[in-house]
Amino acid sequence: MAALLTKEKETTLYLGPQHPGITGNMMVELKLTGDTIQRAKTHVGYLHRAFEKLMEERLWMQCFPIVCRICVPEPDPNEENLARAIEEIEGREVPERAQYIRVLMLELARITAYLMWMGGQSGSMGLYTMPQWSIGDRDYILDLFEELTGGRVYHMYIWAGGVRRDLPVGFKDRVRKVMDYIESRLVDYDRLLFENAIFLKRAQGIGIIDKEKALEWGVVGPPLRGCGIAHDVRKDEPYEVYDQLDFELITHEGNDVYSRAMVRRKEIEQSIHIIRQVLDKMPSGPIHNPGPNPLKWKVPAGDAYVRTESARGEFGYYVVSDGSLKPRRVHVRGPAYVHGIALLEHLLQGANVADVSFIMNSLGTCPPEIER
Amino acid sequence: MDSKLIKEQEIKRNINNAFRSAEVTVVRRRRISVRFRAGILPAFISYLKEYMGFVHLVMISCVDWLEDNQFELVYHLWSYEEHIHAMIKIRLDRDNAQIKSLSSLWPHAETYEREIHEMFGVDFEGHPGLTDLILEDWSDLPPMRRDFDTRAFVAETFEWRKGREDAQDVRQTISARYGETIPEFKKDK
Amino acid sequence: MSIKGTLLPFSALKFLGKKPHTVRYPYQKKKTAERYRGFHYNDIEECIGCGTCATICQNEAIDMIQIEGIEAKKGDSGLRPRVDNGRCCWCGLCVEMCPTGSLSLTDQYLHTSSDPESYLLVPGVDHPEFAEHLSFVKDDEVRLLDLARVPMKELDPQERVKSFAEVVVGYMQEEARREATRCIDCGICVTACPDHMHIPEYIGAIADADDELALKYIYDNNPMPEMCGKVCTRQCETVCAIGHLGEPIAIRWLKRYATEQFPDPAAVLNPTIAPANGKKVGIVGAGPAGLSAGYYLALRGFDVTIYEALPKAGGMTFAGIPKYRFPMDSLDKQIGYMEKIGVKIKYNTRVGKDITFQEIRKNNDATFIGIGFHVPYKLGISGEDLQNSIQAIEFLRTINLGGNVYVGKKAVVIGGGNVAIDAARVARRLGAEVTILYRRRVQDMPADWEEIEAAEDEGVEIIPQGIPLEIIGEDGKVKAVKYGMAEMVPDPRGGRPRPKLIEGNEHIMETDTIIGAIGQEADYSFLPEDLKEELKIERGRVVVNEFKQTSIPDVFAGGDNVNRTMDAISAIADGVKAVEGITHYLMDE
Repeated sequence: MAALLTKEKETTLYLGPQHPGITGNMMVELKLTGDTIQRAKTHVGYLHRAFEKLMEERLWMQCFPIVCRICVPEPDPNEENLARAIEEIEGREVPERAQYIRVLMLELARITAYLMWMGGQSGSMGLYTMPQWSIGDRDYILDLFEELTGGRVYHMYIWAGGVRRDLPVGFKDRVRKVMDYIESRLVDYDRLLFENAIFLKRAQGIGIIDKEKALEWGVVGPPLRGCGIAHDVRKDEPYEVYDQLDFELITHEGNDVYSRAMVRRKEIEQSIHIIRQVLDKMPSGPIHNPGPNPLKWKVPAGDAYVRTESARGEFGYYVVSDGSLKPRRVHVRGPAYVHGIALLEHLLQGANVADVSFIMNSLGTCPPEIER
Repeated sequence: MDSKLIKEQEIKRNINNAFRSAEVTVVRRRRISVRFRAGILPAFISYLKEYMGFVHLVMISCVDWLEDNQFELVYHLWSYEEHIHAMIKIRLDRDNAQIKSLSSLWPHAETYEREIHEMFGVDFEGHPGLTDLILEDWSDLPPMRRDFDTRAFVAETFEWRKGREDAQDVRQTISARYGETIPEFKKDK
Repeated sequence: MSIKGTLLPFSALKFLGKKPHTVRYPYQKKKTAERYRGFHYNDIEECIGCGTCATICQNEAIDMIQIEGIEAKKGDSGLRPRVDNGRCCWCGLCVEMCPTGSLSLTDQYLHTSSDPESYLLVPGVDHPEFAEHLSFVKDDEVRLLDLARVPMKELDPQERVKSFAEVVVGYMQEEARREATRCIDCGICVTACPDHMHIPEYIGAIADADDELALKYIYDNNPMPEMCGKVCTRQCETVCAIGHLGEPIAIRWLKRYATEQFPDPAAVLNPTIAPANGKKVGIVGAGPAGLSAGYYLALRGFDVTIYEALPKAGGMTFAGIPKYRFPMDSLDKQIGYMEKIGVKIKYNTRVGKDITFQEIRKNNDATFIGIGFHVPYKLGISGEDLQNSIQAIEFLRTINLGGNVYVGKKAVVIGGGNVAIDAARVARRLGAEVTILYRRRVQDMPADWEEIEAAEDEGVEIIPQGIPLEIIGEDGKVKAVKYGMAEMVPDPRGGRPRPKLIEGNEHIMETDTIIGAIGQEADYSFLPEDLKEELKIERGRVVVNEFKQTSIPDVFAGGDNVNRTMDAISAIADGVKAVEGITHYLMDE
């Protein structure tokens, strides 16, 4: 028997494009001996909607309903980035209240994204109670989104100059209530997932990122902080009103799936903490600094790169205007572009087939944002 | 304002000491922009990475300036030490868009270059494999080029739904109703 | 493997006994949030079919279509939006951009069908019951449309009554660009412009910083735009889509801006004049109607001669409109341009006196009558013939010709139209205290509201619902006016409310002059007797067909003596139309 194993031939396994636990489709081509991966190659192209090209054919205002679709679980950083890039080129001020509301949106979105991730991460190891819980709890936040913006998943809420609607009466209280509820649920999550012996066994020592090379490989977000490296756009280059909020960076040593999971787990608490501060500190005042008539709105020639710390790491927009009614170029940087291709291919070398989805999930791979 | 830009100005000076031809602009706090020539790009970028702390390759963008017959490649770099973002801008001749690959400096540069190659048609010398990334069996003009006509492509590729042919243009409806003939003038601008 | 970590997950078993919070039996439809973005609803009556929803829709999900029962009319294209709910993404930009606020999203969101047709819904027509389900509606705090007009600078009222200097300063370049940028290019304004000028096009050009292009669009069917830019009655602005929730685009001021940018229109327009076609056209009266006809006929190669009784061209725009509204330079610039391209104007030539109408007809292949309304109506009360009881129209003409008129220290103007306001403001400038006496309420005054406000700013007093009864004289001169107050009673024929004298509520106001301004009529005395029979005239107006052709085939007519709107832009429209008629009549065999 032993002799057979050592002479095993290399086989090719096409995993995907459907995957347990990630939103969207992509395929990984695996070269295997037995169930050990020798080489991996990511194939994307199943979700290409050419949003960047479509935006070049649209008025500036018309780009806002498009960009949210770039990432389903967490669309808001897209809206915020596009708005802020345009505001930077134009030099348009955003009222402080609107900035607070934007942070509220971004942090709520972060929690929904983490809840979604929890479902995916657990699902990819066969723990199906977790997705039912976390996706169910996520709906309470979607209720808040619906109340504030009129939409549950795609909010189309943040736009250049501010936000579209002010908080409804009593909204802050309802946010607090949902936050208290999510906070109370964390114990259940811990018991079911984060302290689960099977999870510990599966997650620890898997998908290890070389800490020394993490920065160079373009690792960002929870995977970077899961290497014990304290970088977060909210601190490195504070946007909106993050510099007025009190929060500490969360890191976790270990460089593996588990450490990345723990960063996210603690960042749920961190987001709840930030949201409570936002609710306390939010000033009154206008929520929108209007620009010109959208049909004749020309953004002055210029370019800007802006970034947001999304649930998966640095989300960036490079926007170029030639001074006309439509963008010259909008280039979207999704963290998954780096994590899901170059890094994933690297991490899968030597991994077990059963861990592919698991590792993929821990990196926050999101095909729609890779292809845009 | 100026006092806050000390770090940015210092980086500008350092860059200019090493590469006199680099046109460095301090855009604002935490943003510098550098115009550079394509020829010795890898040397320049590797200098920024190794000596100036720009370790993080954020992304590589390509902008089609059709009217200038040029592509502009923008290399976005971030220094975690200084918290400064540098945009290195290179103009390439659109008809002969060639530049050296940076895939040896950053593994993910490879992906960005593959995409720019298929979407714009820029050739990256020394790239390990400029194969399709998102597209499949594409033989048309690289689709992110400005002269690629999305509407024409859609009209050829997809079928419009029936039942909307009765749509009218408001302006034309009004002018037809009142016998107004809107002249067509050549626009100067 | 730790024991704790193995047992802890089983704590989830406690949820077995808990009630689920997501599924309700029996099934209950989810109550949506107050701002939920579901299917559209459109208030069909409020909607004006401007199509802005279709323009902003980034999915191209909205078509503008004809709907049974909706007629196109002034201020309404007659079209209504239809949404392809197979394409719509419910972003609600259409709601944000709707200038009337007629479009909303509702809390209705369920529709399933295998029939693609069923996804095409005309909001407000299909599912009118959605009116009860409005949910995402326009917000008064947050707007995408710029509803506030860029304010127009004017001379200070105290300053301006001291001279005839132009009151309105005009937009600076930046102001004009900003104002033009507010426009949504719908073209609803064109429905109201008697001349159907290419308004969205020239405003678009101004917004695009292409003033030359704007001028080309403007001159395409209006040869006197500088005059219109200053004094037009701007019916376009009354229907402007933006005017439904905000202040209409300053269409008139933008036209004024464009024309003022170029001292010599010819240099920009560089018009191509067709080679002479051998046909001659004679025009009676160098008012806006006659000049417009003359200008476009001349461009088409006709040999045009205009006969004008006064020493200057412009008709009422010269003789009637005070110079603080329309300065002489502006008029001269426009007339100069017309003469430059070949329009011949014979001044000081009163038809019927200096030349007979028959002679003009004989010498020309076609004739155009644009004599306007220059004969005032009499007040019809006693004392009207006293010295210093004058007529506004003659008063204004004399002043504009550089003459003097006695107004004394106190003048009373009778009437509520633009002529009355003009006379009042001119009398103010001549140093008199001025009171306007008007039969109806201020809101009933036919005069432009901006003119009324300007008059009040300049210290003109308005007495509404005051009916003059008698002019009291002393030594053959005006001494005072007796007037009675009126109450407004509904018109039995359904028209606007009518003033009815209140018994015993009479007042006497001392005054040095009375200026009558209750309307004008045409003077047809130049027509020879036989033609008076032949030329069909009804209620003082020459009857014409669509191409302004009268009952005599070679005689065309336009302007106040033809149309009922009686303003410069209608006269220009008549002139432009007559050019088509005359060309058709003379050139098509």
